[in-house]
Amino acid sequence: MNKAIDIKNLVKRYDSKTALDDVSFSVSSGSCFGLLGPNGAGKSTAMKILTGIIEYDSGSVDVLGFDLKSQKDDIRTLVGYVPQEITLYEKLSAYNNLRFFGELYGIKGRELKKRIDDVLEQVGLTDHANSLINTFSGGMKRRINIAAALLHKPRLLILDEPTVGIDPQSRNHIFGMIRALKKDGITVIYSTHYMEEVESLCDEIAIIDHGRVIAKGDLNKILDKHAVNAVYVESEQMSKIPVFEYSGKVSKKDRGWVIETSNILGTIQDITKKAMELNMAVKELEIVRPNLETVFLSLTGTSLRD
Amino acid sequence: MLPVFRKELQILFKEKGTFFWLIILPVAFIVLYASVFGSASNSNITIHYIDQDNTAVSKQFVQTLSNVKGFETAVDTSTTRDDQIEKIRNGKLSSLVIIPKGFGDNLKSGDKANIEFYRTSVTDQTVESAKALLDNIINSYREGKIKSTLAFSGKSDVQIQQIMASPVVLKEVNEDVKNVTVAEQLVPGMMVMFVFFVIISMIRGFIKERESGMLARLRSTPMKPGDYLAGMWSSFILTVIIQCTALLGFGHYVYKLDLGNLPAIIAIVISLAICATGIGLAISFLVKSENQGIALTQIVVMGGAALGGLWIPFDILPSFAQKIGYLMPQYWAQKGLQDVMVRGADISVIVPNIAVLLLFGIAGVFIALLRFKRYILSAAS
Repeated sequence: MNKAIDIKNLVKRYDSKTALDDVSFSVSSGSCFGLLGPNGAGKSTAMKILTGIIEYDSGSVDVLGFDLKSQKDDIRTLVGYVPQEITLYEKLSAYNNLRFFGELYGIKGRELKKRIDDVLEQVGLTDHANSLINTFSGGMKRRINIAAALLHKPRLLILDEPTVGIDPQSRNHIFGMIRALKKDGITVIYSTHYMEEVESLCDEIAIIDHGRVIAKGDLNKILDKHAVNAVYVESEQMSKIPVFEYSGKVSKKDRGWVIETSNILGTIQDITKKAMELNMAVKELEIVRPNLETVFLSLTGTSLRD
Repeated sequence: MLPVFRKELQILFKEKGTFFWLIILPVAFIVLYASVFGSASNSNITIHYIDQDNTAVSKQFVQTLSNVKGFETAVDTSTTRDDQIEKIRNGKLSSLVIIPKGFGDNLKSGDKANIEFYRTSVTDQTVESAKALLDNIINSYREGKIKSTLAFSGKSDVQIQQIMASPVVLKEVNEDVKNVTVAEQLVPGMMVMFVFFVIISMIRGFIKERESGMLARLRSTPMKPGDYLAGMWSSFILTVIIQCTALLGFGHYVYKLDLGNLPAIIAIVISLAICATGIGLAISFLVKSENQGIALTQIVVMGGAALGGLWIPFDILPSFAQKIGYLMPQYWAQKGLQDVMVRGADISVIVPNIAVLLLFGIAGVFIALLRFKRYILSAAS
């Protein structure tokens, strides 16, 4: 599969602070790539470098076959960028906002009108074309924010935390839109700190923490490689850390315990036996499904949202 | 450039603050000042008096005061002499003329006739005017006495006239092409002062673009930074031109303001727009916050207005203030406008004014360009 993005040994420093430290990863064409990490990990910096907003100190970045350092103008016409902030003019209508962004990409006349109609349909806001942005809900603004990046039919769409603070309806709409774009062959880079969003949308991921890539590649392979087997148990009588024959690290989660184990069935059997002996009321007993949350936990020792 | 220009104009026209600062407020000031100073030119100075003599001679004296253009007399018979003098002490009355008993008899007999003039110690234009009028009338009595003495000594009327003629004659010549109206004083001054308030809109616009993340997003598009700057700047230039057109139109249609040579007025308005927005660009990229920008704008607007002769005539400013005033763009704009409106100047006469305004604008743009890269790079943070 062709690479839409190829980043090698990327370094970016802000004075004495290193925001990106020897970062390398690649993104396959037509895939949805998840860039994961806690706040301040370096995700937005990486995205701003890819869109040419900020310069980088060293390394090489290749976007859609163009070198970022020397062919920035070519890249800008092919990339759509949706920043984390809602960057729209509140006192202008949705239509006028989209017209402004379309004109920046050199689209004019009937073609511009058609593209605006198309993207409004894509984000499900055709009926609100002439409403002022300051009358929109947070979710509607986010959708127009994305629409503005689609007008010039980009080959690569970069979305920086596009679902922050929105309602479930708008979130589902955005997810549907991203899946449709992927189907049309557009490469999507999706930055978030919501693990479940990445699991739902992305084929490939890179996990960034403190400016370094700590895991990258195919989502399922990463899950297989880094996720640990664990059992979750919840009982009011279980106030101390439980220890069983096969159990490894035990950590508190919500009102219960996550018990890492090399033998899931053996551990469940031990818990059941002990609960019956002590006449404990067990509220929940389940196998913890391998997910990115546990991968991040096992790689860094901290929760993603800490 | 065109998308940015159109977008910014749309935003400016939807912003109520823009209309308030640039159109509504100057119009309100013009109406307020025109109503105050317009009626002031028709009002007389009142001279309060008490006639204790109450003879034909004293009445003639009062009549002489009343006959002078710009003055009127008033008598208060309901209060006593002491009460009225007390009013002066309290600041309720600025002056009082008392014609004492025996004034007429003394005048007829050739003895000294006194007039008492009570006044506040505070220098007041109306009191000084009343005092000057009294001095003038007393002089005319003295002249009358000299004439009578000369006639009694046998001099003919021609001889008396020759003796009494002053060796110095004041010849008053008005060099203005026409009489200056209140509107011709007010409208250019207010317009020049309020034009510079566009700087606040500029600062808000540029800082909002940076802080909202819009500038960063625009950097991800193919638009060149120069196109962005040109688009923003030209939209503010057009805003000022529209503002000036509205204010001059208001003055012309409401107060019959004579605009004079139209091409010359257009040239000043355009160069003033370039000047104010050029300075606005410089301030926008120099300041770190909106509050800092607004404070600096107030200094530019108020300082320039005071020293540039927009509030009080430039001629009566102290010489050091005048020297600073020459460094203010407001002075050159106001003088250029009044040269055209009052003195009938055409474009050739106001070339220096236009050149100075354009120089200020170019200097502002130069400073802005030095800081522009820093502003663009700040988009990333």
